[in-house]
Amino acid sequence: MIRVDGLTKVFRRPRTFSGPLGTLRTLVTRQYEEKSAVAGVTFEVGEGEVIGYLGPNGAGKSTTIKILTGILTPTSGTVEVNGLVPWRDRSANARNVGVVFGQRSQLWWDLPLIESLRLVGSLYDVPAARFATSLKKLRDLLGLDDFLDTPVRQLSLGQRMRGDLAAAVLYEPPLLYLDEPTVGLDVLAKEAVREFIVETNRTGRTTVVLTTHDLADVEALCRRIILIDHGRVLFDGAIDALVDQPRRLVVLLESGPGQVRGVSRDADGRYVFDIHDDLPGLIASIAAEHTIRDLSIEEPDLESVIKGIYAR
Amino acid sequence: MIRIGFRLALAYRSNILITCVTLVAQVFLLRMIWTSVYGARPAAGLPLEALLAYLTLANLQAFATHTIVVSTAHHRIRVGTVFFDLARPVGYLRQLASFQVGNTLGGLCLLAPVVPVVLLVGSITAPADGPGYLLTLVLGYVIAVELALLISLAGFWMTETSAVALFHRLVSQFFAGTMVPLTYFPGFLGVLAEALPFKYLGYVPAAVYVGQISDVSGAVAIAVAWVVGLAGLLVLTWSRARRRVVIQGG
Repeated sequence: MIRVDGLTKVFRRPRTFSGPLGTLRTLVTRQYEEKSAVAGVTFEVGEGEVIGYLGPNGAGKSTTIKILTGILTPTSGTVEVNGLVPWRDRSANARNVGVVFGQRSQLWWDLPLIESLRLVGSLYDVPAARFATSLKKLRDLLGLDDFLDTPVRQLSLGQRMRGDLAAAVLYEPPLLYLDEPTVGLDVLAKEAVREFIVETNRTGRTTVVLTTHDLADVEALCRRIILIDHGRVLFDGAIDALVDQPRRLVVLLESGPGQVRGVSRDADGRYVFDIHDDLPGLIASIAAEHTIRDLSIEEPDLESVIKGIYAR
Repeated sequence: MIRIGFRLALAYRSNILITCVTLVAQVFLLRMIWTSVYGARPAAGLPLEALLAYLTLANLQAFATHTIVVSTAHHRIRVGTVFFDLARPVGYLRQLASFQVGNTLGGLCLLAPVVPVVLLVGSITAPADGPGYLLTLVLGYVIAVELALLISLAGFWMTETSAVALFHRLVSQFFAGTMVPLTYFPGFLGVLAEALPFKYLGYVPAAVYVGQISDVSGAVAIAVAWVVGLAGLLVLTWSRARRRVVIQGG
């Protein structure tokens, strides 16, 4: 469905100066700063997959999505989305994708929600009959009936997000880009958004590229993640493989030497042991030689694993 | 998009009311001032009645063809929602133009009730050349929208465009002759006003209406040339602008 190979995007902007007359110098400068937002990204996404496209703020996630929608032209590399080159076949590509940005809305602020949905129907040439059935389905699935005729500015964030989701899938695109669709939502609203994504993916075989900082979203929705930072792919693979690591025993001693049973003391004064099978035996053997002040067992979880990868 | 523009024009009731009141007040004030000016010293050129009719019409037109697309487009660039406009299968310029046309139609609906009042206050009689008036008015409107779209595209080069928008608004109002008829512009200012396209937004249709311009063919030919030329310039500017796209805010 999506094939990205060696993608790079370099932004070029006039250099800004500070200090006296800085503004003036900025205005007339011919010096440019180059900032590489995406620096050689390669990945593929198959039809019907839900992948988590993750990375810290400023990692290049949004830039990638803007290239995939055809709005930005990359500096180099090749991209194919559903057989099309997004920035060359921009209009045809636009019909294949739906986009939701948690941080900004495509709905018209001053008008009732239904007006924005009608606009989407007409911009994407949805025939009246299909629009009606599609809207009916979304009204049930997202519970839009309560606020379909309410101006968007009066909607709660959760309602607005449901409206944005409806606008993104109204023309039944085979591909969805969701950029932080649960940001700022309460637990129940998050759950509603996740259920909607699962449902859309299941019934329509819709491919979903999900960007989020809420790893609970990822655990609920994705089987595979792509981690990027500084514009490069750090990890691409199944979540199961990522978290398939031994549990760990963390021990604090009253007075610890540099090494205990081959494990060095870390910066916080802790000793971290991988637990393989005999946990009581491991604890007993440590207790036999040292006085234990505190101990805990850490389960491998996505958050700590991802933190570990970013820290590398 | 036409529908959105239309609905937005009618979204706020207080806005509608105030716009109507402003229009009537402006026409009334212009009438008072110019009557007083003429009363003190009869000016050369237009007779008072023709001048009043001209000013009333020019202002009515200015209200009816007022473009909001510049501020809407700039707002969407500022907050980044322009992303969605650019992600649509329909071209950006076509969306902006449809939005503006819809907004104008909505504006006409809300102006409709006060038009009789304005015509009465401005003592307007039947047009000297009805078809000619409509033709020049429509051409002037197309030029106004094209100019507004051009200014809208400035947002792709400049992040902060309110100064440009203000400049565009003042220049277009002044050189359209909504405050003072172009016939009163002295020397080089008159030549400039004559050469710029803004006169088709106000002066030309109004002058046709009151019979000051009797043969519209020349004006229509030049207006059509402006329409075509500006369209070409728009396409060219847009093809350059879209290469500069940077969406703000992550």
